[in-house]
Amino acid sequence: MKVRQFIAAGFMLFALAIPKAYSQNSIDFSGYVRNYTGLLITDPNDFSIVQNTFDLKIEKHANKIAFKLNPYLYHYFDRELELGLREAYLDMYFNNLDIRVGKQQIIWGKAEGVFITDVVSPKDLREFLLPDFDEIRIGVTSVKLNYYNGNHTLEAVWVPIFTPTQMPDDNSIWKPQYDFPILPTWDYSTSDLTPGLKNSELFARYSVMASSFDFELVGGYFFYDDPTMHITKNINTSTMQLTGLIVRPEYHRVAMSGGSFSIPIGDFVLRGEGAYYNGRYFQTESPNEPDATIEKNNFHYMTGVDFTLAGVKLSAQFIQEYIIDYEEDIYNDEFENTMTFLAKKDFFREKLWIELFSYIGLNNEDALIRPKITYDLSDGFEILAGANFFLGSSGRFGQYNKNDMAYLKLKYSF
Amino acid sequence: MKKQEIVLGLMVFLIFIGMQNSVAQLSGRQIMEKVYYLPSGDDTQGQLTMILENKQGEQRIRKLNQYIVNMGDTEKKIMFFVSPADVKGTSFMNWSYTGGKEDDQWIYLPALKRTKRISSGSKGDYFMGSDFTYDDLGDRHPDMDNHKLLKEETIDGRPCYVIESTPKDEDYMYSKTITWVMKDNLVGLQREFYDEDGDLLKTLTIHKFEKINGFWTILKTEMKNVQKDHRTIIEFSNVQINQGIPSSKFTERSMSLGQ
Repeated sequence: MKVRQFIAAGFMLFALAIPKAYSQNSIDFSGYVRNYTGLLITDPNDFSIVQNTFDLKIEKHANKIAFKLNPYLYHYFDRELELGLREAYLDMYFNNLDIRVGKQQIIWGKAEGVFITDVVSPKDLREFLLPDFDEIRIGVTSVKLNYYNGNHTLEAVWVPIFTPTQMPDDNSIWKPQYDFPILPTWDYSTSDLTPGLKNSELFARYSVMASSFDFELVGGYFFYDDPTMHITKNINTSTMQLTGLIVRPEYHRVAMSGGSFSIPIGDFVLRGEGAYYNGRYFQTESPNEPDATIEKNNFHYMTGVDFTLAGVKLSAQFIQEYIIDYEEDIYNDEFENTMTFLAKKDFFREKLWIELFSYIGLNNEDALIRPKITYDLSDGFEILAGANFFLGSSGRFGQYNKNDMAYLKLKYSF
Repeated sequence: MKKQEIVLGLMVFLIFIGMQNSVAQLSGRQIMEKVYYLPSGDDTQGQLTMILENKQGEQRIRKLNQYIVNMGDTEKKIMFFVSPADVKGTSFMNWSYTGGKEDDQWIYLPALKRTKRISSGSKGDYFMGSDFTYDDLGDRHPDMDNHKLLKEETIDGRPCYVIESTPKDEDYMYSKTITWVMKDNLVGLQREFYDEDGDLLKTLTIHKFEKINGFWTILKTEMKNVQKDHRTIIEFSNVQINQGIPSSKFTERSMSLGQ
């Protein structure tokens, strides 16, 4: 038996045996078992994913302390078994202060489906933006302090170990398109950050939840989760032809400040979120930039509205990214505009849900359309059928236009 | 019989007659005001079990812990969902105001790890797939309806006032409600809800009520949709009244911790 399978079997046995042993000590066990099967709609109709998931949450809450352990197991037919920890932390509660130490998901902001001030937990993009958001967000090993005064909260986070965005493998259908003129050589000499005080990250948030409005003010000094691709070109001086390309990924520090708000206005809830990033790097074709990157500051912001019409829950967001002091040779547009739409309605007393969520890329006229139907067969057991349609030929969503898929999820929560 | 005893008996008789007259003179509005202002304690906490039953008799059960505090002009309520497993950890908080201001509402979804403000405008929405709308679960101020005392009637041996309430807002989800209010304790015993066409839509029946810590408390109630033939039963257990709930219970911290 392979070591990995042995560990997984041990995990399963632990999960099955421990609840009985410790139920009297009020350790709480919950989680889910899920099968997720996706099929590409376009010929040759390959399976885009066949995934079996076991997710276990082990929690205990005492008066002054608590802990949570959230191991998970992904089984694929075409990949190695994956065993991981989504979260594993300890809580300490004081009168007006909570301290959480360990691997944890930290979520900020009011935007939905987009990440503006939500920068503490990096993203697992191995399946693009398709998994549930609690699976997209990667827990960070950190210390989080929350100080409370009524409905005012001051939060400080120290992350000693940098965790980058998790990108798809080279052979994945979700690998982003890179427009290199020739096959590059990769230089990973600067892609690792040594854990330590020097490379640690700091975040802070002040939030208010009050009658008539909620808002957050946030700030952070951290490494941007996506690497900058520093590119060295080798050119034959006699022919002036490109003979080699070395790509060196490197993570750079940025400073971010921003905030978000949420205000009810009659039957509507108006939401907004914005951030200013200092020290971002963008790819450029400028001959003045020998490594094909340029440092610029940028704004990222959104406004959105939620309301209900004839029993249908509706939500719309407009998101814009703006590069300050823009230069023509930068790959990204000066303004990149995206919209999201959500419509959701329940039937048969919340036994059946029909939902349509979509991202619309306005610059490249591309989109991701995500219809789905969820049926609660019985309490805790749901059947979800859905599809993901990628429209357009380029851009964030259009690049995956061959990945249209239909899928089925069977999920039992316990 | 001594003269003093005759005078005392006469006084008691007159007081009794006077009380009967004063009660008989109560208008529908006055009765509904008394129901609305019936003391309910400064705070209440307990466990709610909600049983959703369809016309085939199949049941779905939701359990949650509820805390309510009355702060004078503001009532704060927070609910922590315990089961079923797929909604466990979800919490819902509502602040309602006496001055006519719209309620503030938030929901915390553990999968998103975020507290989200939601619109309170859709009070006609059904709560968690039950037969109760958000409005049914709240206290409707008597100023929002015109009230008319229809008759007096005895249900299950309990003398009741029968009051018809017609909403002042023509767009309200019900065209009228008819409420049976027990005469002895002014607790509502039964209510009928009529749809926009004037047809009977739902009936609310109180099955169990007790005086807890000096306050009348409804412990079991049933809402039946007579048009679709399904119903919801709500049981309130482990009820504690005026035991003190800290204000920190009604915060984002409490919502995210799920307790």
